[in-house]
Amino acid sequence: MNKKTLTILGPALVGLVVVLILLYSTRATDQGAELYAVHCQSCHMENGQGLRGVIPPVAKADYLSIHRAELACLIRYGAENPMVVNGKTYQQAMPGNEQLTETDIANVLNYVLKSWGNEEKPLSLQEVQNQLEACD
Amino acid sequence: MKAKHFLYLIAIGLFVVSCENSKTGSNKLPVLGTVEEAQYQFVNQDSAEVSPKTFENKIYVTDFFFTTCPTICPTMKQQMLRVYEEFENNENVMLLSHTIDPQHDTVGVLRTYAEGLGIASDKWMMVTGDKKEIFDIAAKYMVSALEDESQPGGLVHSGAFVLIDQNKKIRGYYDGTKEMETNELIDDMKVLLNE
Repeated sequence: MNKKTLTILGPALVGLVVVLILLYSTRATDQGAELYAVHCQSCHMENGQGLRGVIPPVAKADYLSIHRAELACLIRYGAENPMVVNGKTYQQAMPGNEQLTETDIANVLNYVLKSWGNEEKPLSLQEVQNQLEACD
Repeated sequence: MKAKHFLYLIAIGLFVVSCENSKTGSNKLPVLGTVEEAQYQFVNQDSAEVSPKTFENKIYVTDFFFTTCPTICPTMKQQMLRVYEEFENNENVMLLSHTIDPQHDTVGVLRTYAEGLGIASDKWMMVTGDKKEIFDIAAKYMVSALEDESQPGGLVHSGAFVLIDQNKKIRGYYDGTKEMETNELIDDMKVLLNE
């Protein structure tokens, strides 16, 4: 290999690695959006608004910070009891999503935590795993 | 199979009417069927009896759902809310949602659901009753509300909104999960009210 090919190949390789890293990191967030569309959207709606008075919003929901430590369990096992979101009580039970893996739950949660004006800190996979181990 | 026949019926209906329309040039909705002969007796979210008499001289929109449905129902209810808000003060319009899971959706469950939505029960009725009777009436409205245990939620249904006129004739079918088709429904209701 001569010097000339190296000066061309070198930057090209670096470029390729950068592109791959970018692709990989955006894929993770896209997966959260995809999971949301499949598992959450039909009830919580495309814009996260929920259904008036029946299904609580996930957009700008104080529930996300108040119950941050229980979010993973909520997604996996759902909820039977009424829920208070932004001062309003919702009676509708939430079905669980036991088919979702820990990674799925982390991805979908992190999508919700930063979408539609939500500005919550993301949850690490480790935090999600810890939450799931401690579910009631 | 049923769905196919149903589509043929609509196609024929539309064809016949489009011919009529081109002759007269009038702004009228097609007649796609009738529920004049249908008899039923349900109860709504206030435990009030609901029968064909309830809709005398009214136009109404009907659909089939259940409160615990995790698939299309919340979207349908979101769209039906838009119809409700558009005609909230028009006493000639009513809305009628049947549960197809009467075992779970008792009067109390429907009342909680309706109260959540904040709807007036004399305007938008959510009814429950005998399961066979509900499925029979669904067939009359020609909406497929057949049981399919393999689907999420255990029951599958079409998501259709059906528009019925003052004479209990079926005047339109709309996909209640789509905003555009609900817009069409709202426009058609205005046409129907002016007929």
